[in-house]
Amino acid sequence: MSPYDEFEKEQVWKLLSEAGLVDITLDDFPELLKQAKHVVMGRLSELLELTTDIQERQSVAYSLGTLKKLETTLRVDACRSSPGDPDASEK
Amino acid sequence: MEPTAKQVDTGASWPPEEGQIITFKSLSGLKTGILREVRWGLVWRDFILEDGRVIPEHKILGHPEPPVWRKADEVSQDEREAGEERLVSMAEAGLDPWDQEQSFWAELNQYLAYTYLRFKQTGHKAPDAE
Repeated sequence: MSPYDEFEKEQVWKLLSEAGLVDITLDDFPELLKQAKHVVMGRLSELLELTTDIQERQSVAYSLGTLKKLETTLRVDACRSSPGDPDASEK
Repeated sequence: MEPTAKQVDTGASWPPEEGQIITFKSLSGLKTGILREVRWGLVWRDFILEDGRVIPEHKILGHPEPPVWRKADEVSQDEREAGEERLVSMAEAGLDPWDQEQSFWAELNQYLAYTYLRFKQTGHKAPDAE
């Protein structure tokens, strides 16, 4: 493995660790799921402005649908958010 | 008494072989189990134990530092969609997602990490405050 690969591995692992995604706790899960949705929606809105890359648009929309289904089915907002959180009712 | 499985030695080749005893970190401290197989997830490798528990590689004692991982663009569309369908099926089937040593939690964890890496490259960030 090249030194560059080794450096990249460390950087990615650091990125995931800092984002709290290497070892997710139950308390963090609803917030991380919500953040993932925001990231995917950001990418989707960017793709909707383009006329090309329809396949990626469909793929991103599918992933967003998956996150929403998981959120709804697991009811993570209702079960895990603190009371008064304005995002807790977001669907 | 004849041992039925070999303990992983410090400094042994990685990953351990099928049938070896591995030690891993859990919420309640160190635990052990017999390795059945090592399987790639969307980002990192999961160690599947004989009793069905699923332990991410970075929780196994003796894993390489930093742990092995995959780039998001190495995951094919088919593989991603299969993983997404599995997650939704497990959720709809009413499996307990909060058992941290079962496949549902393992796949949920990896899917969030994968999604983050997949779109982080394009520069999208979640809002800091909502």
